[in-house]
Amino acid sequence: MRIHLKEIFDYQDMIYSLVRRDLRGKYKGSILGFLWTFINPLCQMIVYTIVFSVIVQTDLEQFYVYMITGMVPWLFFDMSLRQGTGCVRYQGEMVKKIYFPREVLPVACVTSNFVNMLFCFLIVFFVCIVFGAGLHLAVLVWLPPVMLIEYLLTVGFVLLVSAGTVYLKDLEHIITVILMAWIYLTPIMYPLHMIPDRILWIFQINPITPVIEAYHAILYWKKAPDLSELAYAFLFGIVLLVISEVVFMKLSDNFAEEL
Amino acid sequence: MERECAIRVEHIAKHFKVYADKAAMLKERVLFASRNQYEIREIIKDVSFQVPRGQALGLIGKNGCGKSTILKMLTRILKPNAGNVMVQGRVSSLIELGAGFHPDMSGRENIYINATIFGLKREEIDSRLSDIISFSELEEFIDNPVRTYSSGMYMRLAFAVAINVNADILLIDEILAVGDAGFQKKCFQRLRQIKEQGTTIVIVSHAMEQLYGICDRLIWIEGGIVQEDGLPKQVAMHYLDFMEDERLRKFMTKSREQCQDVRRHSLLELTDRIHPDARRDGSQEVYFTEISLLNQDWQECQNFDTGDKVILKMAYRTKRVHPAVNFNMDFVKDNWQYCYGCCYAKPGDELPVLDESGEIFLVIDALMLLPGKYFLDVGINGPAGELYDNVRNFMQITVREYVHDEFGPCTFTHHWQR
Repeated sequence: MRIHLKEIFDYQDMIYSLVRRDLRGKYKGSILGFLWTFINPLCQMIVYTIVFSVIVQTDLEQFYVYMITGMVPWLFFDMSLRQGTGCVRYQGEMVKKIYFPREVLPVACVTSNFVNMLFCFLIVFFVCIVFGAGLHLAVLVWLPPVMLIEYLLTVGFVLLVSAGTVYLKDLEHIITVILMAWIYLTPIMYPLHMIPDRILWIFQINPITPVIEAYHAILYWKKAPDLSELAYAFLFGIVLLVISEVVFMKLSDNFAEEL
Repeated sequence: MERECAIRVEHIAKHFKVYADKAAMLKERVLFASRNQYEIREIIKDVSFQVPRGQALGLIGKNGCGKSTILKMLTRILKPNAGNVMVQGRVSSLIELGAGFHPDMSGRENIYINATIFGLKREEIDSRLSDIISFSELEEFIDNPVRTYSSGMYMRLAFAVAINVNADILLIDEILAVGDAGFQKKCFQRLRQIKEQGTTIVIVSHAMEQLYGICDRLIWIEGGIVQEDGLPKQVAMHYLDFMEDERLRKFMTKSREQCQDVRRHSLLELTDRIHPDARRDGSQEVYFTEISLLNQDWQECQNFDTGDKVILKMAYRTKRVHPAVNFNMDFVKDNWQYCYGCCYAKPGDELPVLDESGEIFLVIDALMLLPGKYFLDVGINGPAGELYDNVRNFMQITVREYVHDEFGPCTFTHHWQR
């Protein structure tokens, strides 16, 4: 196991290459090119903003600032999982013919989406400064650890589903359905205090809730995140990562045959 | 052991599940549980070998015999179901070329992507970049997107990366046929150079000349086990003979089917080894009853080396009383080039007079045909040249191919002097 982890670490340059290829390759040939990285979430924001601040009303001021600060991190999680389910399966030819630690593929997939999120944070900061109440530098230091926790959680989930999809194609569709429901079980389009008590427990066990709440705290409420909730997400992430890696290692033995 | 062992394979076995109709979808798995039946196909039954450091080993065998499967087990892509594979040192495999290439990115960027997939570090690539580019001969195009490359250029770039991945052990699967003749030669030279540097090489190929050029040793895999393990020339000879016999056996079955009609049925009585294209004509007043080709040990044989002793044995029967006849035979190359012919008596000589039945032998002390496939024709003529029996394309013989320095249909006894 330790040798294996070291090996994954040795392949960090491959992860770097794949991320670079993914980011640079994605929009090559299109006229607006890399700008799409910003345009996509921006348009999504506009749509949601119209829906949720004009049609559906909440008691929060500048609700779209609240939403964008939760939505961008959510999109990172969402996109990683969507792409991650197929990341081993669709590179079958490579997996069948070349040896490399298979974890590289899901990790590269998540990392590429993570970098994408970092770019999108330019928009988030812009919105916060222009339309919100600005940024509070003292709480902003909490941002990197929160991002790291989200990254851990995402890698954990993606490892699991990417290996599973090799054996069961349906997982891809199942994940799409789950993600569709999941966004409504996370306080993104409404604040947590609007949730009725009898279903609050779902939000509380959802490991993404504390992460999104932390982003809200830092960027919208401008205060330090709730550490005990974050600790839950962090522990959840670590345990998940260990389980996922064990499962992934076991399943990856037969990747070349199953693909 | 004298030398350090780079690869040790101990009694490995590998089988694959072959699904009649694989149900990957959940619905199908649940609904058609019975359809998930599979048969287990044993590819490798029991294979063991060791490769000392610095040796070049070639794996040969017919398609689907498991050569590539063995190679994949050496790279850890596949796990053996039984047995152990131990590999010491950094492994690089030239199994897939151009992995991870992105068509919209430049050749240079793709070199980095491809090489990191092979496990190289960025600094290592930086130091080899100029080697790779000059090897690929794509200096002018290296900053153009790969999608603008011709397929030959694409493969050259891919190969240049692969061959410059320095490793202790290099595994190669059937990919030396890249680019034009000049580039192939260069790849080949580079490979020899790599070998001289002490890299252990395991190579799977059907190109025998390449194997002779690189390998110190060949292993022939047949039926999931090691059929033979030894010096390249010897193993290759047995393997090629085996393949040739297999091919000819198929011919025999085909011949048997094709010669069922009355006119051609008589061909089957001559020999088991009749070629499907065989034709027979003549008055049959004197006719062959059996024809066979023998090697120096008087064993039936269709594979020879240039210089081998060959005996053509012909049995005949006659319907006339004491006819005088002439026998003849010739070799025709498979491209219908006439190569050699001879007859028993030249014009003016007295012809042999036959009893009711008998045998005649043509003993060729040294077969001077160069490597290739040849058809054998035999015939019996009367005193005035009338055709008694004539069998064309009667049998195919193979003169074995090695790395050769002679060309054309036949060899001369010769030597060079300086």
